Amino acid sequence: MTLSTSNVDVDRAQRIQHERRMPGDAGRPLSQSRGVMRTARIGSTALMSLWFALPFLPLVLWSFANSWSAPDLLPMTLGVDGLTAALANGAVAAFGDSLLLSLIVAAIATPLGAMAARALSRRTLPFGRLVSVLLFSPVLLPPFAAVLGINVVLLRAWVPPELGVILVLVVVAIPYTTFSMRVAYAAYDDGFDEAARTLGATSRFALWRIHLPLIAPALARSAFLAFLVGWSDYLVTLVVGGGQLVTLPLIIASSASGIGNESSVAVLSLSAVIPPLILLAFVSRARNLNPGKQS
Amino acid sequence: MTAALTRPVRPRRRHLRAALLVLPAVIPVAFVVIGGVGTTLLQSLGLMPLVGSAELSTAAFNDSDELLTSALLSLSIAVVSTAIAAVIGFFTAVLIISGNWGGRIVGALGAAAVTVPHLVGAATVGLLLSDSGVLARLFGVAPDAWPALVAGPTWFAVIAEYAWKESAFIALIIVGTLATRITSYDETAAVLGAHRFARLRLVLFPLAAPSLLVASAIAFAYTLGSYEVAWMLGQTYPEPLSVMALRLFNSASLTARPEAAAIGVITVVLTAVVVAAAMLGLRRMRAWR
Repeated sequence: MTLSTSNVDVDRAQRIQHERRMPGDAGRPLSQSRGVMRTARIGSTALMSLWFALPFLPLVLWSFANSWSAPDLLPMTLGVDGLTAALANGAVAAFGDSLLLSLIVAAIATPLGAMAARALSRRTLPFGRLVSVLLFSPVLLPPFAAVLGINVVLLRAWVPPELGVILVLVVVAIPYTTFSMRVAYAAYDDGFDEAARTLGATSRFALWRIHLPLIAPALARSAFLAFLVGWSDYLVTLVVGGGQLVTLPLIIASSASGIGNESSVAVLSLSAVIPPLILLAFVSRARNLNPGKQS
Repeated sequence: MTAALTRPVRPRRRHLRAALLVLPAVIPVAFVVIGGVGTTLLQSLGLMPLVGSAELSTAAFNDSDELLTSALLSLSIAVVSTAIAAVIGFFTAVLIISGNWGGRIVGALGAAAVTVPHLVGAATVGLLLSDSGVLARLFGVAPDAWPALVAGPTWFAVIAEYAWKESAFIALIIVGTLATRITSYDETAAVLGAHRFARLRLVLFPLAAPSLLVASAIAFAYTLGSYEVAWMLGQTYPEPLSVMALRLFNSASLTARPEAAAIGVITVVLTAVVVAAAMLGLRRMRAWR
């Protein structure tokens, strides 16, 4: 019998690989709904879409409104007054500070979470349950209660406010990174590392060329969550930062507490909404790596 | 086993390796959580005064009427908004899992809502629901005739913001942890002839219930301890616990610090009770095992 490569349909194999269901993928419709059920399904879909989309509407409308007095349905004159006012409030600097803070928090919290998740998934850790509970506890802790206390400790220890903010936000982010990496490691196959080591790879080579590429999508998701923690924070930056660090949420809050700032608040809010959405688009495109693929 | 293939590693070394991997995360978390809550507790008991000598006292907890009003208000806001978020979140998750094109749209919008900072959510819900807001204009209602949704006695805008953000969070947690498992059971039930509602009641709900409970507990804890939404969209009196604590913390009076800390301690205890109840509920769920 002769063996020919034409028997192996690479395209088909890749298509099957592509169609294989991964954790987190949606299912497929089991049945076609008709009549009343179809109407109900479309109706509930429309309602849910409206529920999630409606709060974005004022941001778009107000961002480009120069004047929009009360009874009018749409802005009277369009323009960039809101943008000008936002820029005058220091929007650019605040945007830069927010971005830097969030990236630092993600860069620290992601490897810490991944390492902790790896240790927890191996089940060789003494007091594993206690460690899990401790690492998860910041999610459940009321931030203001911890911040009031830790603020005093940090002040007495002469920790610079910026470092204090990073420390507290990393702690708030660690539960998210640890938990999402634990989910990834639960599905992780140690066989790839073992095979590489058996074939003579050093442990460093196996880590950089085998292990990290395989968990890269999960790492990206964790880093995104940690980024969100830094990006969304208001209270920690306000209290622990003590005015040293002016991030985007801080100037949004100060603009929103004034009167007649609607368009500037909308522009600032929109600029706080867009960067995570761009990152989300990238992260959701990162699929689990296909180990058999030739590149 | 990796270890067996490469070289024999004694169990103690494996313990040590695991401990070394986990320590960089454990140390900062322990410092902030235990240090933060511990210091708050000491402050509330008068053991860490800004000036004067430390003296054990429960004076900070004395204004019990005020504390009770705030605690009840905080709890009501958290209960109502979490309940709405849980119902909407579960049905959103069902829509997403169903895999129709509509589910994909709802999933994308929900994911977008999750990324919005709560403060921005509060700002935009304010622009949407205030008496000259976008909704009032859409319905053509004059500002005087529009109900006081923002900063009104019903706390409508605050609850709406929490329900909006947390429903997206709950939906994505359910979808993320259970989609694959749910789909295979759902398909089996469908093949065996189970009708739509039977599948929803007997397959989807029991399987989703544990993650629904966990996500709701997280949302509840967050809502109870959150500050900025209630501060921006709420009434000035009565105040929720977090708003009162921050006002006292920033006030000029020196006796206010222990009172602010006392509110922090009360909030931690309330959260712990609710989370413990949720964990007990989780244990009783058979699907979790």
